[in-house]
Amino acid sequence: MIRNAIETNQLTKDYGDGRGCSGVTLTIREGEAFGFLGPNGAGKSTIVKMLTGLIQPTSGKAQIYGHASGTIEARRRLGYLPELFRYPDWLTGEEVLAFHAKLCELDRSQAKRRIQQLLDEVGIGARGRDRLKGYSKGMQQRLGLACALLADPDIVFLDEPASALDPVGRYEVRELLVRLRGRGKTIFLNSHLLEDVEQLCDKVALLNNGQVLAEGSVADVLREQSNWLLRVSGYTPLAADRIRHMLGVNAVVSVTEAGEGMSWITLELDNDEQIGLVNYLLIELGLTLYEVGKTKSRLDEWFRLAVTGLEHRGERL
Amino acid sequence: MIAVWGLTWKELIRKRVTLMTVTMTMLFWVAYWFLAGAIAGGEVHVVASFSLLEHFARSAMILTLGFFFAAFAVAFLAIFSSVAAVTGEAEAGVLQSVLARPIHRWQWYMGRWFGFVSYVALYGTLLFASLHLICWMHTGVLFSFEVLIQSLGLFLSIIPLLVSLTMIGSCYISPLGNGIWMTMLYGMGWLGNMIDRFMESGRLQISGLETLETLTGLIKLAMPADAVQQRMLSELFSIRELSGFYDLNRELSLFSINGAASNSFLLYCLFYTFILLAGGLLILRRKDF
Repeated sequence: MIRNAIETNQLTKDYGDGRGCSGVTLTIREGEAFGFLGPNGAGKSTIVKMLTGLIQPTSGKAQIYGHASGTIEARRRLGYLPELFRYPDWLTGEEVLAFHAKLCELDRSQAKRRIQQLLDEVGIGARGRDRLKGYSKGMQQRLGLACALLADPDIVFLDEPASALDPVGRYEVRELLVRLRGRGKTIFLNSHLLEDVEQLCDKVALLNNGQVLAEGSVADVLREQSNWLLRVSGYTPLAADRIRHMLGVNAVVSVTEAGEGMSWITLELDNDEQIGLVNYLLIELGLTLYEVGKTKSRLDEWFRLAVTGLEHRGERL
Repeated sequence: MIAVWGLTWKELIRKRVTLMTVTMTMLFWVAYWFLAGAIAGGEVHVVASFSLLEHFARSAMILTLGFFFAAFAVAFLAIFSSVAAVTGEAEAGVLQSVLARPIHRWQWYMGRWFGFVSYVALYGTLLFASLHLICWMHTGVLFSFEVLIQSLGLFLSIIPLLVSLTMIGSCYISPLGNGIWMTMLYGMGWLGNMIDRFMESGRLQISGLETLETLTGLIKLAMPADAVQQRMLSELFSIRELSGFYDLNRELSLFSINGAASNSFLLYCLFYTFILLAGGLLILRRKDF
C-alpha cells in the first residue's frame, strides 16, 4: 500500500510583513517526485523549511511519513539540500560528511562506506580529501547533495539543486535524481530549471504569494498546454487569420521572423490531432513547412502563463 | 552533542584561533618574565635581605599584573570564539543543514557551549599555571595546593558566564554587533568595578556618590567578571586572613584588591549563568532559520 510521504493541511507561516505562506494543503505520495514551482519570493523555501523543521508554522499541520514535521522521527526520514548553504571551509569534504554521519547516528564503518560511495556518485571522488575553501560553487553543491543523501533518507528535499552547476553537472544531478526516484525515494524539488522538473517530476504545484495557484500531475499540466512550433516560408497575416478561423481565436500564440523569408509560428492546439489540419491549411495557403515540433520547455510556458499578469510580491517577471 | 563539541574544537584550531592565542601568549610570557624579574629585584629565591612578607607582597604584585592580562585574554577568547555561534552560522548557511538532522536543538547548542567553555578553560588553566610558575621561578613563593585550586576555580568560573552571555547575544545580534556589545559590556564591567575599588579605597571623592554606586552595582550585576576576578585574587592572597595584620593593598597600589564578590554574589553569578544558558536554549528552540 502506498503511503503519503508528505501531508500538509492549511499550513501557514505569517512573518507579519506580508511574507510567508497561507493555507497550503498538499499531499505527496511515497515514491513520487514532486516539483514545487513559483516566482522568486513566492514562499517555496518557507514551506520547505517548515517541512524540515527549521521554521515553526504559525498555524496548520504538516506531516512527514505520519510524523509531525520538525520532530526527530520526521527528520530521521529526510535529507535536505538548502538553497543558500555553505559548509565550513576549514573542513574537508569527507569531514563534512563524517560530521553529518555522526549527527545521523550512522556507525563508523557504515559511514565510511557510504561517504566514499556518495563522493564518487556526485562526482567529487578523491577531492573529498581537500578542504572546502578550494571547492568551486558547483563542487559545494555536489557536496550538499551528497550530504542530503548521506543517511539514505526516504524523502529528499532539494532546494535548487542544480543552480550552480554547469550543463554536464546539471545532467549528472538529473541522472542521479532519476536513479533515486527509481529506488522508490520521494523527491521534493524546488527548482527554477523547469526542464529538469518536467523530466523528473510526476507532480507539480505552483505557488504565488504564498498560496498554491495550481497543482496536478505533470502529464495533466502538459496536456493542457499543447504548444507547437512551426518554421514556414511564405507567411502572410492571412494565414494566421485562417488558422484562427479554423482552430479558434487563441490558436496562434506568436509569429516571429526567422530570417531568409522564414517565420516561426507558435500554435496552441486543443489536441495533437489538430496538427494535421494545420498542415493541410498551410499547404492550401501556399506556405512551405520546413520544421514542426512541440515546444521544448512546455512547463516553462505553463509557469509563465500561470503567473503572468498576477501581482506577486517577489521580483517582477 | 559530542560531535558538535568536537567540531567546535576543530574549528578553533583550524581557524587559527589557537595559533594566534598561543603566539600572543608566548609574547606575553617573554614580557612577563622580564617584568617579574624586575619586580622581584633579580632575586630568584628567598634571601635574607627580604622579609617573608616582602617576598609575598612582590609575588602578589607579579601575579596581580599577570592576572590583569590573563583576565582580559580569557574573557576575549571566550567572547570572540563564541560571538558567531548562532546568527553567524545561520547567516553563513551552515546551521540550516545541521538543524535539519535528527538532533535536538539543545544538543547542538550544548555541544557548542561545552566546546567553547572547555577550550577556553584549558587555555585559562595553562595560563594560570604559567603565571604561577614564572612567579615562583622569580620569587620562590609557592601557594598551597588548596588555595591554587580554589583560585583556579574562581578564575575559570567566569568562562561559562561569558560564553553563555555571548551565545545568547548571538541568537539575536550579528557577529560584529555581538562582538562590540560584549566587548563594551565587559569593559563597562571592568570600569564599574574599578570605580567601585577607587571609592572603597577612599581615593575617589565625588558628589552624587549614591547614583554612581547604583550604576556600578547594576553594571556589576550585568557583567560580574571583574568582581569574580577580585575574589579570585582575594582568595589567592588570603586578603581576609591578612586583614588587620598586613595591608597588601597598600603594596599593590593601583592594582589593590577591592570590590571582591561575596559568597552571595558568587551564588548570583552561578544563577545568572544558568539563566543565560537556559534562556539561550529556549530562544534557540523557538527560533526560525
